[in-house]
Order: sequence, then C-alpha cells, then structure tokens
Amino acid sequence: MKYNLELIKNKKRIIGFSTVLILLSLLGIIYSTLYTSYKKPINLGMDFVGGNELRIERVCETECSNLSPDSVYENLKEISKNQKVLNNLKLQFQNNNKIISIRTPYLSIEESNNLISNLDNIVGPLNYESKDSRLIGPKLGKRLLTNCVTSLLVSLFAISLYITIRFDKKYALFALLALFHDLLIVFGIFSWLGITLSVEVNSLFAVSLLTIAGYSVNDTVVIFDRIRENLKSKKEGYNETIQLSVNESFRRTTFTSITTLIPLLSIILFGSYSLFWFSFALSLGIIVGSYSSILLAPSLLLKD
Amino acid sequence: MKRRQIWLFFIIFLLTLSVYLLINYPLQLGLDLQGGSQLTLQIIKEEGKVTKDELDAVNSVIDRRVNNLGVSESNLQTLGGDQLILELPGEQNPLVASRVLGKTALLEFRTQKAGTSTNLKTLQLQRLNIKEIIDQYSSSEKSQYDENFLKIIQDDLKEIEQELNYYTTSSDLYGKLIEIKKYVDKEITNLFIKTDLTGKDLINAGRRQEQTNSNWEVLLTFSNSGGEKFADITKSIAGTNQLLAIILDGESISEASVGNQFANTGITGGSATISGNFSAENARELEVQLKGGSLPLPIEIVETNTIGALLGSKNILKSLYAAISGLIFVGIFMIFNYRILGFVSVLSLVLYGFFNLALYSLIPVTLTLPGISGLILSIGMAVDANILIFERIKEELYDGNTLTRSIDSGFQRANSSIVDGHITTLLSCFVLFLLGTNFVKGFAATLGIGVLISLFTSLNCSKTILRFFTTYQSLRQKNLYLPRNNFSN
Repeated sequence: MKYNLELIKNKKRIIGFSTVLILLSLLGIIYSTLYTSYKKPINLGMDFVGGNELRIERVCETECSNLSPDSVYENLKEISKNQKVLNNLKLQFQNNNKIISIRTPYLSIEESNNLISNLDNIVGPLNYESKDSRLIGPKLGKRLLTNCVTSLLVSLFAISLYITIRFDKKYALFALLALFHDLLIVFGIFSWLGITLSVEVNSLFAVSLLTIAGYSVNDTVVIFDRIRENLKSKKEGYNETIQLSVNESFRRTTFTSITTLIPLLSIILFGSYSLFWFSFALSLGIIVGSYSSILLAPSLLLKD
Repeated sequence: MKRRQIWLFFIIFLLTLSVYLLINYPLQLGLDLQGGSQLTLQIIKEEGKVTKDELDAVNSVIDRRVNNLGVSESNLQTLGGDQLILELPGEQNPLVASRVLGKTALLEFRTQKAGTSTNLKTLQLQRLNIKEIIDQYSSSEKSQYDENFLKIIQDDLKEIEQELNYYTTSSDLYGKLIEIKKYVDKEITNLFIKTDLTGKDLINAGRRQEQTNSNWEVLLTFSNSGGEKFADITKSIAGTNQLLAIILDGESISEASVGNQFANTGITGGSATISGNFSAENARELEVQLKGGSLPLPIEIVETNTIGALLGSKNILKSLYAAISGLIFVGIFMIFNYRILGFVSVLSLVLYGFFNLALYSLIPVTLTLPGISGLILSIGMAVDANILIFERIKEELYDGNTLTRSIDSGFQRANSSIVDGHITTLLSCFVLFLLGTNFVKGFAATLGIGVLISLFTSLNCSKTILRFFTTYQSLRQKNLYLPRNNFSN
C-alpha cells in the first residue's frame, strides 16, 4: 500500500543475488570438506564427535592474575599423566582470565576430575559451583549426528508433503526452493564461520535449521496465500498482481521478522553463553528467510 | 453480546486458574537451571535390538544400585529403546555413581583346574609385579618425565613380557601396563572352571572392617539353595591344592584354599566373605553392586553433564532478563505501530505467557535452557498471528469499512494464513520431539506448546479483548487504530 517494491524490474537482479549467495555457500562447504583439518562440510562440535568440554570460574580477589594458556599447559604437562589428553588439549581464558574453558578428547569422569584438580593446583582456587562440564562418548556423538540428520530429513519431507498437498505444484515447488535456499545459506555461513573462526556446530544448530525451515515456509505461505487471493479477484495482469500482493504483505513480513528478532537479540545479549550461536543461527535464518519470502519466491513466480 | 461476555469470563477464569496452578505447583527446573549431574547410560548389545524386557531388567538393577548408594532425589528414566538417563540434582559427585553403575557386576564362583598350581603361582606373582609397577607409575608426579624412571619401568615391563611370552601392542606406556594386566587377569580366570553358583544365589551383601588391619571385606549371604551349592563346591575341593576363586566381571578378585576340615560337609552356614584388600570405598561399591544384582547386559556411560548450582541460578537470571526484555521491546514495537491494537496484543501476550507457564506445571514440562529459548522464540511467533490480523484490520479500515466490520473480517481473513504457518512449525516441533535428544526435546516441547497456545490467544483472546474495548464509545475512534503518519494522508 505504501510500499512499492519493483519486483518485475528487478527479477534478474534478485535471482542473480541469490545465486551468488548460494554459490558462496557451496564454496564454503566444498572448501571446508577439502581443505580444513576436520574435512567435513561443517565444523562438527563435540555433540557429534564426542569429547570433554569444561568451563569453570576462578576465585579471584579483585582481578584475576594474568595467565597465558601456554604456561598452564606447561604446568599441566608436569603433573598430568595422561598423554592422550595433553596432546589434544585446547585451553582458553575468557572474561579477564576469570573463566577457563578447556576442550579435550573424551575422558572418563575419573580422568576429568583429575584434570580439574590438576587445574586447581595450577590456577586455583576454582569455584566448583560455577562448573559446567560435558563429557560425550564418541559412540553417542555418532548417534546424535544420525539422529539430527534424520530429524532434518524427516521434517523437511513432512513440510514438503504438506505444502504440496496444500498448494498446487508450482507454488509448492517455489516455496520449497526458497526454503532450501535459506537452509543452504545459513549452513554455508556456518561453514565459513568454521573455516575462519573455528565456530563449531552442535545439536542445537540442527534444531535451529529445523526451526528456520518451519519459519521460512510460514513466511512464504503467507505471501503465496495473498497472491492466490488477489489472483482470484484479478483486477490487473498476472505479474502486476504478484507485485501488488508482495507489497501488500511487505509490512507484515518485515514486522513479524522484527518481532521475532527482538527476543532472539535479547537472548544473544542477555542469555546464557550456551545459547549464543543457537540464537545467532536463528537470527540469520529469519533474515534470509524474510528476504527469500518477500523477494525471491515471488520473483520465481513471475512470468517473463 | 452474551457470547462475548462468556468468552471474557472464560479467559479471566483461565487466567485465575493459571495463577493458581503456578502458585501451588511450582515449575520443575532442569539440571542446567538448578545445578546437578546427568548421566546417559547406553546398553550395549552386540547383536539385535535391546528388547523391552531387557531394558526393564537393566532399569531395575540400576534403580536398585542408585537407591543403595543413597543418592537423594535422583531420577532415572529410559530414553529411546536402549538408553537410561540418571539425574543427580545438586552438588553430588557423579564419580561414585559412575563407578558403581558402569560395572556389570557378574559374580561367579569357580574352582581351579587340577594340576595348574605352578602356572597359577607364576601368574599371581606377575599380577603382583604389574600392580606395583602401575601403582608406582600413577602415584609418581613429575617423575615420569624423568628418563631414568621411565627406563626402569620399561625394562620391568619387558621382563614381564618375556616371562609371560605375551607382547603388548598399545602405543603408550600406560596403555601397555593396562593391557598386560588384563592379559594376566584373563589367564588367571582361565585356570578356573565355572560352577553353577553365581551372584544370582545371593540374598544379601554387606561389608565390615577386618580385625587385623584396616582393610575391608565384603560379606555374602547365600539363599538356601545357594548355601547348599557353596557347601558342595567347597566340599569337592577341600583339602586339595585346588583353589576357589571369586570372579567379578571376568577378573578374579580372590583366590582361597578350602581346609581339610571341610572335606565331609563343605563350608556350611550359607555365607562367605571376600577379603581382597578392599578400601572402605571399594567395599561399599562392591556391596551396592552385589545387592543390586548383576546387569543382564553391559552398559557404558556415554554422556555426563555437570552444572554447578551457582551457574544454574545465573542461567535462570539470564533467561529471565532475556525473556522480559524481549517481551518489553516487542510490546513497545507493537504499541508504537498499532496503537490500541498493539496494546491488545500486549495483553494477549501476557495471557500467553501465563497460559504457557501454567501448562508447563500441569503437564509437567521440565524447564531447561533450550526450553526457555523455545518459549522466548515463540513470543515472536505469537505476535506474528496478531500482526497478520492487525494488518488486515487496517486494510479494511483504509477501505472505509466500519470498525466492527473491519475487526470481524480482519480476524476471518487472516485465519487460513495463521493456521498454515502454525502447522509447518508444529510439524518441525513434532519431529524434533520424536527424534531429538533430551536437550532438544525441551525446545520442541515449549515451542510446540507455545504455537498451540498462540492459536488460542491470538485468535480468541485478542478478539475478545478487542471487542470488549470497542464497547466503550471513547475507544472506538478510528485514529486510535491507525498509526499517526498513516492516518494523516
């Protein structure tokens, strides 16, 4: 009504832009599979490969003494017995040296307890009340991965089925195309994040992909519904009606995205650190999803 | 008019009910919010699937062991067809639990094969040697980086290897030591023949401190038939040089001779003691395992999560901040854009929040971090339905329709889009809930419940509230429903 997106004029540009995004994502996925140390399309976190993750706070009077991960590592080497652990240990300090976070291959509870008491000797005292420790066996990791991939496939199939029954073929095809476009781009961005910043994906990432799928389809469905409704009352040509429908639903789609982004942003800002990348992935998905629902999916419907 | 009032009263009734529920049945918090440990136990079966009976049998053994350990407020549940989840709230160390639960605890009584005495003596000696080396290696602190020390241990190991004619293949020294220890244990066990007396014949187990030193011993009490078997077995080897071995999970924990005085009757009385240099802790662990019975299938602890109590309460606080700030900013956004309509959506959002939480305590849903993020995310989705409706109402108003008519057709025309959109999200939630892990299930549950409730609040509650507002003449001016900038043109 107040908006005038020139969909018809810009059809080529929109499709071109999406193609570039998809190619970049594919590039990230291929690069990640071939040239990274982990040789996977995406950097799988310890939910999927197993391992031990430990995060614990130090008790400091005013300021925590400055420590380099290397010196801790050296000390650890002297008192720890388990070579396997030491060789694959990643150690980080966060929050002005207050928080120690450590990643190792899978340890038994006993070994993990030993590691913590060794750390206590080196950088202690530690606040055990603030401990966050996760041990995942490699077997379970594999199982989780299969689980996540199956959930994704099953629910994508269910959504596709629903859309195909609900709409006629052409609409269904383009709604699904938009959906896979969104998922591929979010996946690609995380591939790149893995390559550049070693960001890992855990089972919550699979959850966010699923949520994005539901959300993206929802957005597209609303616009397609509007197009269908307007085509029935046909006042103008086919292409013009589509453009009009998009402009009519523009406010709704952007507003909905904003009201969904606001809570996500508050989780990113105020919520627990364990939800950071989850909310980040969801936010990305919502932004890409709105773009594809407003611009890409309707452009695909346009006739030349 | 009448129907409208009924709806209004119904909504007020539901709100009161929700508040009542929340006060009387507080929400259950997951371990990531209250602190504690969670262990995932995987049942190992080489071939075929774990049957329901096997799962139940494992479950009851683990349950007995947990109870005998005296862990307070623990919670054991099955997950999928072959996993168990044990939750230990608070600051309870999962280490003890993991040691006690992980063992199969299959107890066997075996008698020595005739003519293997020399062989056994050699093996027993080597077992002692290996134990000493391992003790040295693991009790030493910096010294294992001392080359001389390492050399001595390596030489000792080589000697033992030659003696036994068994050569280890592990890559590191510690692995080699463990490997040779296992080999010796197996060889010793092989020198004994199985009898039909096993852990199944026990009716109780206990422990006590030995009188002569500070070591502990574990007492076994047999059932009637078990006592008879024990008497028979001891009778058969009494006075010979064949030993009786007590074997736990394939490893002999005690080998003892039976004196000549038992040659006529065997050892009667239906009880026995195992004294194998137990520490108080080890004796207690064995006692708990034997009391609980042996596991029909071995299990492995595949996941352990521990969250400190302080971190848990911090997580609650952070989630609260995130939820409240999310709600406030969404509210501001809605009121700014939709004025009275926005206010209505804020009211229905508040109702939405209460209904959700009340349902969590009713079902009950255990709140976890992913669960809370599902709830917060569903705020956005709940508002989505309102936006769809309000946009339609505005369009109708711009088209010059009356307020009542615009509201009615706005709700009506947005209906199908709303239902469609919600169904796709529900599909995702459903699949997540069926296939997801515990962690993921929390998210799927709250998001799914949220989507269902938002159908009710955004369609019925906002409509009822809006109609209630429009009964007041002063609230019926069109400009209260349209943003100022739009209204001016």
